[in-house]
Amino acid sequence: MKKIKEDLFALLFILPSLTAFCFFMFWPLIRTVYLSFFDWNMIKPVKKFVGLQNYITLLQDDVTYKVLGNTILYILILLVVNFVLPYIVSFLLSFVIRKGKSFYKTAFFLPSVISLVVGSILYVWILNPVTGPVAMILRFFDMQLPIWSKSEGLVIWILSLITSWKVFGYNFIIVLGGVMGVSQEVIEAAKLDHIPNYKIFMQIVLPMSSSTGVYVLITTIVQGLQYVFTPIKVVTQGGPNYASSNLIYQSYHEAFTLYKTGEASAFSVMTMALFILLLVLEFKFVEKGVYYEN
Amino acid sequence: MKKRTVTRVAAFIMAAAMALTGCGASDAGTAQDTVNKSASAGDGEKIKIEYWHCNGEGQGGATVEELVAKFNESNDHIEVVAKYNPDMYKGLMQNLQAEAAVGNTPALVQIGWSFLEYFSNNFAYLEPQAAIDQYDAEDSTFLTDHFLPNILELAENSDGGQVGIPYSLSSPVFYYNVDLFREAGLPEEGPKTWEQVMEYSEIIKEKTGKYGLYIQEPSDNWATQALIESNGGKFMTADAEGNVKATFASEEGIYAYQTWADMIADGTALHISWEEGVQAFNSGEVAMLYTTIARRSNIQSSAQFEAAAVNSPVWEGKERVIPAGGCFLAITAQTEEQQAAAWEFEKFLYSIESMAAWTIGTGYVPPRKDVADSPEGLKSFLEENQMMKAATTQMDAVVKWTSFPGDAGLEAEQIMIDVRDEILNGDVSARDGLTKAQEEINALLEAQ
Amino acid sequence: MKINVKQMIAHIFLGVLTIVLLFPIIFAIANSFKTLEEATNHIWRFIPLNPTIKNYIHVFETLPFGRITWNTFLIAFTVTIFKSLTSIIAAYAFVFFDFKGKRLLYFTLISTMFIPFTVTMIPNYITVSALGLNDSIWGVALPQLADALGIFLLRQSMRTIPKSFIEVAKIEKVGHLRILSDILVPLVKPAIISTGIIFFINSWNEYVWPVLILKSKENYTLSLALQMFISAEGGTDFTVAMAVSVITMIVPLVLYLIFQRYIINTFALSGIKG
Repeated sequence: MKKIKEDLFALLFILPSLTAFCFFMFWPLIRTVYLSFFDWNMIKPVKKFVGLQNYITLLQDDVTYKVLGNTILYILILLVVNFVLPYIVSFLLSFVIRKGKSFYKTAFFLPSVISLVVGSILYVWILNPVTGPVAMILRFFDMQLPIWSKSEGLVIWILSLITSWKVFGYNFIIVLGGVMGVSQEVIEAAKLDHIPNYKIFMQIVLPMSSSTGVYVLITTIVQGLQYVFTPIKVVTQGGPNYASSNLIYQSYHEAFTLYKTGEASAFSVMTMALFILLLVLEFKFVEKGVYYEN
Repeated sequence: MKKRTVTRVAAFIMAAAMALTGCGASDAGTAQDTVNKSASAGDGEKIKIEYWHCNGEGQGGATVEELVAKFNESNDHIEVVAKYNPDMYKGLMQNLQAEAAVGNTPALVQIGWSFLEYFSNNFAYLEPQAAIDQYDAEDSTFLTDHFLPNILELAENSDGGQVGIPYSLSSPVFYYNVDLFREAGLPEEGPKTWEQVMEYSEIIKEKTGKYGLYIQEPSDNWATQALIESNGGKFMTADAEGNVKATFASEEGIYAYQTWADMIADGTALHISWEEGVQAFNSGEVAMLYTTIARRSNIQSSAQFEAAAVNSPVWEGKERVIPAGGCFLAITAQTEEQQAAAWEFEKFLYSIESMAAWTIGTGYVPPRKDVADSPEGLKSFLEENQMMKAATTQMDAVVKWTSFPGDAGLEAEQIMIDVRDEILNGDVSARDGLTKAQEEINALLEAQ
Repeated sequence: MKINVKQMIAHIFLGVLTIVLLFPIIFAIANSFKTLEEATNHIWRFIPLNPTIKNYIHVFETLPFGRITWNTFLIAFTVTIFKSLTSIIAAYAFVFFDFKGKRLLYFTLISTMFIPFTVTMIPNYITVSALGLNDSIWGVALPQLADALGIFLLRQSMRTIPKSFIEVAKIEKVGHLRILSDILVPLVKPAIISTGIIFFINSWNEYVWPVLILKSKENYTLSLALQMFISAEGGTDFTVAMAVSVITMIVPLVLYLIFQRYIINTFALSGIKG
């Protein structure tokens, strides 16, 4: 009896989220899976059933793999800048420097409140290879800023930079919180044993703040996928020749530039499947090594 | 414990959350319904119609407001609501698509030229002549009275149907930096042919160290079409049975494209995004800029040097051919009442006064006759803005912006954009790139 | 002495990072007070030669910015409160209750994090329109009342609280809402704040969805207003766009500066784990 009451309570607590998701996530998702078997453009009166053709078309298209590769590169770059770098900066702030801590904390967080649309417009000016301030500095040293918006490879780095400009500060504050949350007594004890700072950081602080680490890791991946959309849309529209497109942008492109609703749906379904796979892996492997109280 | 109270209040709000949203939604729902009902009631009440446009504050947004306000004041039975759609005609199309999914449509919409075929293929619209016959029979010759045949033709689809009436007309013009021209000892009246442009670019590079030329590279093939067709090439050709094929990979097309790519390869021309390219021209780093007349006011208020504009260049011995940019207006209203109102408003937009205001506010070329010379029209404006002349004096060369027929049209357009980057980046030659793109597009066209 | 060198290098590194991060903001503010001509030709001038507030006057004349800021705030605030509340209780249920199918249910909810917005856009537009919330700021907020990332993050942080805390409370017959409000929420406050911040900022800056829903100017949000000043064909009036950008930044910046000491201290005291 008590168990049933408990279960009901649990369900009641989950219900608000579940209801919202049913209407605004799961139902659209089911509709998308359904549409992925049709050739349709959202307006035509007739939907043409094509079976798995949309999936086959996408799997045979080189662009799909190019975009997948781009997505992985985006996520890797963002992980370095917004996951690894915040740890390094946190180490510097909590173990190395003595003055200016609060200044840095404020300064680093500021860009994260600004929209990426604004960020993208700003960076198009700042990084203009012909007229921008950065190009001017480089020219002073007799160097040239490459025409990044049209260069395969480089364009991904720059768009990641724009995204990181916004994401870094937030992640840094979270990581710093985790690092500073590690018990001072443990650290003091280690210091008395003359263990070097970086070792304390690597061997004590990192493992003990690993739950923060998982938090930042997951947000970075999710954001790496979704935040990058805005700079792509504002700056390059996926170009040159899909060199800057990622999975989310590509499904947007299929759906709202080419109006291939069926293929776009198939694309979204495949994107989701891929990331759910990642999530499963995360559950299976990463979580095990994480430090929790229970 | 103050904090506890706060969290308890929060918990209460949360508990009531779902219920509240439910109520809120249904309340607003009924409110909306009443608005709709009263809108269609007709007797004494105003009919409400939506006008969808893409004119941001940088270009005509204020004029849209002004015209709509003027129209709403001038009549007692129609109220126009203007909805701005970001991201130009592509963005408007997205929103229109979503609206159609809901089962609604605005009454009057701006449709970009490159969406002509897609729009007419997929949306229900009322042809302008049909609207006139039905709601304004006294003025049945309105179209032929006020528009030149080649202008009206711009809004005709591949089946010969008049989808709408041209409204915003732009054309590509050639801007150049007179100061840099002087410095390099080049003629101040600017180039007339693309051959001259090539030659001048080299001289500019040599004498001033600046880039010679930038040709706009947005996500469309508007400028490319002008470049190829002004050399005698054709983007698209219809055979006797009306079957359409892509034909841009002709010798003329390949030559024009390869010339552009070569200029980029030797550093006399710049290959960069549109926004960056115009910035580079505006700050004097590029001597010549090939882009739309719609950028005129932006260039005038940015440049510190003397900027001038001339007609779109031709290739030596060839005729000028330039695609129209901008949009036409189409009536998408579904009920008779809304259609009648939409036509009344549309007609107001095409009056000489409204057209003149539109041209001044946007920098577009008026599609209607008599606006340029009429005293209440643009006469004084055109006299003051010499740059506009570059566009108004080349209207006879305006052709349709190529819009490949059928639903594959948008994909065909995308293939052309993709290959542009490949050719200009030097990954493929113009011959290989264009031929491959042409084959792909023709395969798409055949498949449908 | 050795330590000083280390510190100096650290400060140089952090200083460069600060410049990289703050430069765009200063750049935006500086250019919003320039004429387009000065912005184009004197990009390095941080203090304009002829400072002008023309850009601000222009945007305030064109759009009702007071109203627009209020709309944006209202949406962001509603979304933040609802997302936080639904996430807190759901996370609580997932951590401190055991029931059949818990893992599967959790996993299903969490996987929505990876649904591309292209999937939800049109169906949600249909739903919102059917409810008559087209062109309403509530229509913008409605599909965003729950959040998978929020549930995930709060569950992570609640898992660091020993179950015994809750068991003791249960034995003493304290109700679940009391446990939540009196024990749990204070313990995971940093996590709640940090997810709340991200909810607020994301909603504040969102533009794809509001563009679809909102039509009348008096219902606009700030990021939508910004879109009005970006034109592809006519060219963006950069200085005006910068003025709008600065206006969009103000509220979140001020909120952050007011709360920053509190926010950072909460994190620093206990980290994300609670």
